[in-house]
Amino acid sequence: MTLFALTPTQEAGGQIALAAALGVAGFFLLLPRPSGRFVPGGIAALLAAAVVFGSFLYRRFGQPMPNVIESALFWMFSAGALVFGCVLVAQKNPARGAIAFAFVILSTCGLFLLCAAPMLMAATIIIYAGAIIVTFLFVLMLSQTDGPADENDRSRDPLYGGFAGFAFAGLVLFALYQTSQAANANQTRTADNRLDTRFPAPVLKAEDRKALASGLAELDAASAELDDAKTNADRAKMVLRYLAAQAHFAEVAGQSKDGRNDAGTIRTRLEKMPENGPVPAVLFRPDQQSKEALDRAAKVRALAFTERELETMLMKDKPDTAAVKTKAQKLRDEVALLYGTGDLPAANVRALGLSLYSEHLLAVELAGTLLLVAVIGAVAVAQRKGVAK
Amino acid sequence: MTLSLWHFLAVGAAVFGVGLVGFLTRRNLITMFLCAELMLQGVAINLVAFARYHGNLQGQVFVMFILAVAACEAGVALALFLNLYRKRRSLDSSDWQELRELGVPAATDTEPLPKPVVEPDPVLTPAGARPEPTAEEVARV
Repeated sequence: MTLFALTPTQEAGGQIALAAALGVAGFFLLLPRPSGRFVPGGIAALLAAAVVFGSFLYRRFGQPMPNVIESALFWMFSAGALVFGCVLVAQKNPARGAIAFAFVILSTCGLFLLCAAPMLMAATIIIYAGAIIVTFLFVLMLSQTDGPADENDRSRDPLYGGFAGFAFAGLVLFALYQTSQAANANQTRTADNRLDTRFPAPVLKAEDRKALASGLAELDAASAELDDAKTNADRAKMVLRYLAAQAHFAEVAGQSKDGRNDAGTIRTRLEKMPENGPVPAVLFRPDQQSKEALDRAAKVRALAFTERELETMLMKDKPDTAAVKTKAQKLRDEVALLYGTGDLPAANVRALGLSLYSEHLLAVELAGTLLLVAVIGAVAVAQRKGVAK
Repeated sequence: MTLSLWHFLAVGAAVFGVGLVGFLTRRNLITMFLCAELMLQGVAINLVAFARYHGNLQGQVFVMFILAVAACEAGVALALFLNLYRKRRSLDSSDWQELRELGVPAATDTEPLPKPVVEPDPVLTPAGARPEPTAEEVARV
């Protein structure tokens, strides 16, 4: 037994504490003050803190590299966000700080892209780096000071402030580490006791999606031709067509037979995953996503036509085509939603808009009202009372 | 390395911490505001990573609302800063410390600010002999 043997928790805690202490020292040296600051020492301390933080990330959460490009991008963008954030905090000149903030925004937008959020990336660049930064530069032009000024060359309690911020960040990181340990205990491991980071099987495979898509297209075609079916023989053909369309996705979603639900491929695939059992350590949860897909599949099953139902609706003197069409439309929508589940949809903008205007409509209206009130408030606050000086 | 949720959460926490340090220590109102926005960015990274993890768009929708609120905040904050600047001709937040809590002593700056470096006027080295004043030239300007 060695004297300095540490448990992994102590080691992680030590790394976080070291990184936080180095960060405090770096900002203490770098923050502006009238008696002059020690820039090389501060930068060195911050770099050391960044190295310790990176090694903490790598040792605690990381694994050797099967995916080089993604991880290189991740390190580049996160280093960019942190470095330019530090520049913003330590920079005397607020205009340069604003430029550094624009670079922070660009880096976080890179991270958004890695998390499959292209719409947010564009929106954030336009709103932050475009609008907010430019308005701030206008205000800075109005209040340009020559030479040293109280607001730029003094800091408020650099030691205590740095300590407060880094203590907070360190505690959050430590809590993250402990949660990740608890989660990792639940994860599959390879033969040499490494975390299993292989890409999990997708919830919906390509052939499943193809079956869903062809079923969808045939449902649409059948509904379009429903009104042309005048005779009973034609209508019998339509019944068969609807049933044939449903048969395309019956295997994926499962089908109801005599009140009993038959399992589809999604369910059998989920059942192969052990309940609450180990899941691979990757960026998303395959078990939860296939459960979501399963819920959708249940809705598809509930809406699917039975043969008797179709016949009672169509094979009579006054066929109820409108009801059949409404129900087919509902079924079609559910199949389309099932087609889109499993992973984040590729059509990010469309899916985000659908979510905003269906699930969050009230919140969108409230946000719009908030913007309106803010505009009115800004005009009311900023207007000059009396005569201009 | 396969990226996991934890990497993004850790980076978000670090960005938030840096922003917090800036917000607590800097005195320029605009820098303080930008540091608050930095903290918002840390939170946004968290939310987007969670959206990816759970495979739904709720986290991204949250970030959209963060964007809307940040835009409102920027507008109102700029109007307030303009008003404050007109009153005191400075963006120093400590100029307004009479708004502090009861019983807290006022903070005073003891260290003098460094003198601004004034460039001296250029001086030409004298060249040639000094001209002798002549009778018809009464005064030199």
